[in-house]
Amino acid sequence: MTIIVPSGTGNVYAGSGTIQHPSWSPYDENGGTCVAVSGNDYCVVASSNRLSTGFSILTRDESKIIKMSHKCVIATANCQADRKTLQKTLQTRHIMYMHNHGKPMSVAAMAQLVSNTLYYKRFFPYYTYNLVCGLDEEGKGAVYTYDPVGSYERTGYSCEGTGKDLIQPVLDNQLKASSPLVLPAENWMTALPMDDAVDLVKDAFVSAGERDIYTGDVVELLIITKDGVRTEHLDLKKD
Amino acid sequence: MDYLMGLRGKDYVMVCSDTTAVQQIITIKHDEDKLMSVDDHTLLALSGEPGDRVQFSEFIKANVQLYNLRNSRKLGTKATANYLRGELATALRKRPYSTNLLIAGYDKGKGPSLYWCDYLATMHKMNIAGTGYGSYFVLSMFDRLWHKELTEEEGLALMLKGIDEVKKRLVVAPPSYCIKIIDANGTRTIKTISDSE
Amino acid sequence: MDRMDLSCLESAPRSRAAELCPADLMSQSVSGSSFPLPQVQDMDAFQRDAMAYIKPNHGTTTLGFIFEHGVIVAVDSRASSGTYISSQTVKKVIEINPFLLGTMAGGAADCQFWQRNLGMRCRLYELNNNRRISVRAASKLLANTMFSYKGMGLSMGTMIAGYDPTGPALWYVDSDGQRTSGKVFSVGSGSLYAYGVLDNGYKWDMAVEDAIELGQRSIYHATFRDAVSGGTVSVYHVTKDGWTKVRGVDVGQLHYKYYPECDLHPCHGKPPI
Repeated sequence: MTIIVPSGTGNVYAGSGTIQHPSWSPYDENGGTCVAVSGNDYCVVASSNRLSTGFSILTRDESKIIKMSHKCVIATANCQADRKTLQKTLQTRHIMYMHNHGKPMSVAAMAQLVSNTLYYKRFFPYYTYNLVCGLDEEGKGAVYTYDPVGSYERTGYSCEGTGKDLIQPVLDNQLKASSPLVLPAENWMTALPMDDAVDLVKDAFVSAGERDIYTGDVVELLIITKDGVRTEHLDLKKD
Repeated sequence: MDYLMGLRGKDYVMVCSDTTAVQQIITIKHDEDKLMSVDDHTLLALSGEPGDRVQFSEFIKANVQLYNLRNSRKLGTKATANYLRGELATALRKRPYSTNLLIAGYDKGKGPSLYWCDYLATMHKMNIAGTGYGSYFVLSMFDRLWHKELTEEEGLALMLKGIDEVKKRLVVAPPSYCIKIIDANGTRTIKTISDSE
Repeated sequence: MDRMDLSCLESAPRSRAAELCPADLMSQSVSGSSFPLPQVQDMDAFQRDAMAYIKPNHGTTTLGFIFEHGVIVAVDSRASSGTYISSQTVKKVIEINPFLLGTMAGGAADCQFWQRNLGMRCRLYELNNNRRISVRAASKLLANTMFSYKGMGLSMGTMIAGYDPTGPALWYVDSDGQRTSGKVFSVGSGSLYAYGVLDNGYKWDMAVEDAIELGQRSIYHATFRDAVSGGTVSVYHVTKDGWTKVRGVDVGQLHYKYYPECDLHPCHGKPPI
């Protein structure tokens, strides 16, 4: 679509109160890696707290995970501006939902809400990579993985962000089970004991920190069980 | 590649179109009807982007039929053509329909008529008309062979000659075609040519 | 009394920002009332740049054909963004209702969102009119939506397959607004390879088991040649009693089923010396 405006240089005032930019790229790549591994009665979510732009580190203490309820968290990597807008919008919607329904959203409902919210910005996308994680209605661990415009899928484990290329193959190697599409149906989730899953995630981050410039400093781990969300921190190298 | 031809004979109009539906480099269908009856005495032959083609022709058809119902009288070929041109021209300044078309019709008392119209809403009444690369070869042939007293048999022979020429010379010639005629008795299909012929 | 549903005749919004009003479709009350657009003069260039950044999930082989005993729909399950395989387990057949299936090719989010939207509208039609929507009408709902967003950069190539009182039906609908019915379709980056096998083996009066095998084999050969197709082959069969999923096989296993010894395969090359 082309909006026709009077020709000129720089910003053009289109008359309707909006400024028409001749060309405009409102995106930045701020890096970050999110990992989630689910099991029979838990879900481990982790992300590194480093925030960067280009070759500069902006801060070493930027949490990328938002806790929506005691059963559901959202981890978001990349463009920080979009992440803040997105997480704020989702939190507002969730609070409204709780006022209306007197209970927090299920993970499945949150997963669909995130998809719709991302797709709503289809023509001006949020430049973010998201994981929605938590415990489903049966108490089983759930991980939903997204593309930036809202296509999504439930998986047993996932990794998004700049460390994706490094970590996802390791998770596949350790956790891959048969496809949920196979007939007759087979078990599609490899369920580790929780401590093993936490160790796996920590190991993955230590390795990614060695090879990805956008992953480092501190890893924030959220461990979701029926008793609530517990937070742990793992120090990575600061270089 | 879309190919449309039309000719006005003594007491009929004949139109021909290829019948392929294409998606990028794939022919997804070999019997797509691009000759659409607006009502019993007007026929549109359409080419252009598939989405636009169908949406525009169905829009025109619906409105012409609505007019006929509301006013208990039928819109003539000339009126239909001019109405259609107006809609194309209006759309041109908003979101153009990429549709080139021929409008063929037979009006009692006035006889047959054929209009050529492109997506820029240029329209003209013609005796012979065509669109697409195929028409380059065939228009000159029709110029040479057309005459006012062309009978139905001669017209059909001319159309088939045109198709043969396209198949012989055009690199991207479509394999299958459909020829329809419109006269005092209404509209009917007089020949379809499939891949193997 | 039954009400006649003419909603498919209503003119859809014609791709101008101010006229886009899918809010009712999505109940987005907090965020605003329509898809927000960036304030740029050249929307095409913006979309191009944004998509180069974002690399939405793409790549597919899907096929569908009608034969004597119903409709077969077969798909792969790979999604890639750029050269990275983002999933091997995508569900590319969308089960709109027990008699209607949709397939996904093109942008994963575009397909998922609009087919879910279509599912909702088909259900509303059912509730309003007390009967199931025809395949013809369902495909037209989707095609009209696609046409209203034409030129905005949506990417979707889909087949709507199903069974209604008029019999088996298969419609092709894409994001250009094209909509056409047919007996044999294949859509996606691997469709050329799939056509090669499918056209060769297709017969109107084939047995159900042969038809299922043809669908599966066509997808398998497409995944072999097309790098952005792969994962699992899923095959659905639609009859007057609705659809059933009849196959779900990992293509890794299929390869060794079809070619248990490697020199059976045409790509097997012995060193010249």
